[in-house]
Amino acid sequence: MEKLYCTIYIVDISQNPEEEEAVTSRIQQLIEDHGGIIQRINRWGKKRLAYPIQKKTHGYYVEIEFTAKSVLNIPAILEQEYRVNDRVLRYLTYVVDKKELIQRAKKAGKKAEKEAPAAEKKETPAAPEAPPAEAPAAEPEAPQVTEPAETENPPVAETEAPVTEEAQEAAQESEEKKEEK
Amino acid sequence: MLRWKKKRICRFCEAGDVYIDFRDEKRLVRFLTEQGKIVPRRTSGNCAQHQRQLAKAIKRARHLALIPFVSDIPR
Repeated sequence: MEKLYCTIYIVDISQNPEEEEAVTSRIQQLIEDHGGIIQRINRWGKKRLAYPIQKKTHGYYVEIEFTAKSVLNIPAILEQEYRVNDRVLRYLTYVVDKKELIQRAKKAGKKAEKEAPAAEKKETPAAPEAPPAEAPAAEPEAPQVTEPAETENPPVAETEAPVTEEAQEAAQESEEKKEEK
Repeated sequence: MLRWKKKRICRFCEAGDVYIDFRDEKRLVRFLTEQGKIVPRRTSGNCAQHQRQLAKAIKRARHLALIPFVSDIPR
């Protein structure tokens, strides 16, 4: 059965910043050699780790989405590689759930809706990031490999807009908690 | 008696979310205690489905060092 997989890994770039490209090309090659089709490569970039891993505080996050038949057992092959490769600090490979795709489509739709009024209002930072956010929705049909030059970061972009609302809610919640106590 | 008055609504249901993504850590952090533990359902008011999804998302995010396993505040 054809499945959509997502693999995320953290590369240690403290010694050599080019290490990330070497690892990514290796993983890409592995996937393609074993019969997977790469749908999307998303470089989150250098991020601070929430806790030190192997005494490193920063790592380079890369996310690759690919489709493959489950018989090929690509995740196991990838895991072997990740384990051997000591530049990889962490990895996570999982089968993308149907619900996740629905949620992504929803978000892309919301973004498009928001875009019209947002252009008029003061939401200037959201406007330029909207086009890349729409891309994930169209992916399942059209296999496209995004160029490495693209440094878009949807997870961050998505959370930017509702921050104020959420902050308010969070504040409310903490107040409620205090009351309970 | 105070608890009875407050009827909590699942935030994810309210927002109409079908899936909780582990990538947006800002959202997940709101369902963690100061120490980094997962907030129980009776406190957060999440529905069962979303609490399960949330727990999974938090665990994935922890593994990828997006959110801490423990964040102890020195006293």
